[in-house]
Amino acid sequence: MKQVYKLFKSSYRIFWNDKVSVALTFIVPLVLMSIFGAVFGGSSSGPQGIRLAVLNQSTSSIAHSIESSLDTIKAFRIIKSFKTDSGKTIAFDTLSIQEYVRNGKAAAALVLPPDTYTDTSVGLYVKFYYDPKNDMEMQTVRGLIQQVVFSQFPSVMAQSALRQTERYLGIESGSAFNRRMATLVHKYFNIDTNVILRPKLSDFKIGGRDTAGTSQNFLNNIVHIENQQLIGKEVKNPWATRSVGGWGMMFLMFTLTATSSSLFDERRSGVLMRLLTSPVSRTHILWNKYIFNMSLGIIQLLFMFIFGWIMFQIDIFSNFFNLMLIIIAASVACTALGMLIAAFSQTRQQANGLGTLLILSMSAIGGAWFPTSFMPSTIQFFSKLTVVYWSIDGFMEVLWRGVGFISIVPHLAILLGIGAFFNLISVRQFRKGHIFD
Amino acid sequence: MVNIQQITKKYAKVTALDAITLEVQRQEFFGLLGPNGAGKTTLMNLLVGYINPDNGTITIDGGKVTQDTLEIRKKIGFVPQTISLYDELSAQDNLEMFGQMFDISRKLLKERIEEQLNAVGLYERRKDKVKTFSGGMKRRLNMIASLLHDPIVLLCDEPTVGVDPQSRNAIFDFLTSLNKQGKTIIYTTHYMEEAERLCSRIGIIDHGKIIALGTIDELLERLAYEETIAIIKNPATAKNKAVFEKFGTLLEEDDRFELKPAEGFLLSKFFAGIEKQGIQYSWVELRRPSLEALFLQLTGRRLRD
Repeated sequence: MKQVYKLFKSSYRIFWNDKVSVALTFIVPLVLMSIFGAVFGGSSSGPQGIRLAVLNQSTSSIAHSIESSLDTIKAFRIIKSFKTDSGKTIAFDTLSIQEYVRNGKAAAALVLPPDTYTDTSVGLYVKFYYDPKNDMEMQTVRGLIQQVVFSQFPSVMAQSALRQTERYLGIESGSAFNRRMATLVHKYFNIDTNVILRPKLSDFKIGGRDTAGTSQNFLNNIVHIENQQLIGKEVKNPWATRSVGGWGMMFLMFTLTATSSSLFDERRSGVLMRLLTSPVSRTHILWNKYIFNMSLGIIQLLFMFIFGWIMFQIDIFSNFFNLMLIIIAASVACTALGMLIAAFSQTRQQANGLGTLLILSMSAIGGAWFPTSFMPSTIQFFSKLTVVYWSIDGFMEVLWRGVGFISIVPHLAILLGIGAFFNLISVRQFRKGHIFD
Repeated sequence: MVNIQQITKKYAKVTALDAITLEVQRQEFFGLLGPNGAGKTTLMNLLVGYINPDNGTITIDGGKVTQDTLEIRKKIGFVPQTISLYDELSAQDNLEMFGQMFDISRKLLKERIEEQLNAVGLYERRKDKVKTFSGGMKRRLNMIASLLHDPIVLLCDEPTVGVDPQSRNAIFDFLTSLNKQGKTIIYTTHYMEEAERLCSRIGIIDHGKIIALGTIDELLERLAYEETIAIIKNPATAKNKAVFEKFGTLLEEDDRFELKPAEGFLLSKFFAGIEKQGIQYSWVELRRPSLEALFLQLTGRRLRD
């Protein structure tokens, strides 16, 4: 037992002296827990800023109430107009709002047509256009839209009932009948007569167990939401098409961080020195690493996409040229990231630790695991600074939306820009020379 | 052939090399002898252009050596102290990989690889991965990887560290034959026996300075005595260390004591003294002093301290 205790003590001493292991043990989980906590468990958890285009063509108070309710939901960023090519701001119409969603500028659109609710209506009618590029996000959007629209149900029912009573009994008798009924309800059920005569949204509750089953079908007949998927209908395997980019990026970053860190192995084995004492310069070695890693990244991503095509019928060939451009740009940026990590690390262990921390964090906030809209707005800002975000978005644009070259120019520019920026820093750091000394 | 002028190299506050000036002639086998940390490896790294000096210049065959002058490296072969090979590749793949850096034609490279592998007895193992080689085999491969471009100057930085005596002898024979073929060799070591055996001229380096330079005879002439007394180490001699120390400074080696005679030493008195202690004459031998003794005289320390 004494020996076990001594070994136990030694194990802790060794562990504690390995700062990278300590960091990996405590910092990585801490960072990931913080991100997951912010997404799913914090006080400000839940989606934020999902772009929802809204067009209200109805003059009814209920349509107005729906519009007002949507404005108060923090999950949405409500857009009611768009800018033309000439920079003019124009309110949506039924065509432009659909085009807006098709172009990927909003996740979905809600149109409240002129006949949303009329004097002769007994129910509600709305149109919902959507792009299920992000399944998890779209489920949330639909849930929230349904909640808002269905919450108008009591008001619709009460107003219809009052109107029907007045229509059949006449205004005088109808009003008298309504007041008497309200007084009776008040007497026996202790409900405020004002609530009965002038119902408001907040006085009624919708959803829950009692609205399920047959009552839900009844509600669906009263509140009719016309759904129309605008993008991705022809995609054979939506799940795989959505996921392949995220998974590909995560593995690409692991691979490229490892290969960039191979400089440390070459230094330790003396191979780097042998090369540098032949007619090879430091610049040659860095260029070789860069080109090798970039080509390896391209091959790896291509391999994953081809595997996705064979196994999951992901359509990679109908927009292959643009897919290749995003693959190349993503590899350039990831290679630069790997080289940056190697440049700032003193040992392979440090590079691995730092790499793991950055890769997992960037995958989490970049949208590889869950939609960025589920994160707090601060993290959403940072997610747009990651290689993962722009790569995944680029892949989705190409595979899901099937866009042309012009549409992916921003993605290419940003990824290549990130690559160039990281390279600039890493070359400066490499010149300081610790890895070559 | 190799001209080193006023070379200084500092690392933080440590001066690794302090204004060293040295010239090595064509086809010379030059030894750089010094203890660990004396500055030998730093000088080698400068000679091959791996690092730049803070001050001074190095020229090899008329060409200046710096980190940025790559062409000059085609004239230099560098055998690093560590085994600088890819363990996961075969001997042949390693040689092809490093050889091609010197712009040799494929055909010529192939011929040289075959020739060098035969020269060090590794041809039969050429397709085996380096990780399966013994330490001695790796050392030999490490050496020929630096010779594929047929350099005119070969820089060997302690190439026998951790090598068994048999492989060491093979390396010595190989280097001697290369020198005879016309190659200029600069060889660093902290083993005086290696320097004495291989080198026609030796520079002794300590604390970044050349403290002695010349042929072995020239160096030993600087000693205050011409001969040293070697005494076989056994229980009887070990017991009488105090007796020996009366006659001079006693150095203890692995298998013997070495007595550096004091001023006014008389051989007759020494033998009379040890005879009284029952020490046999056959255990005692007169020898030419070693470079170790010179180093001790110059620095007050031993080479392996």
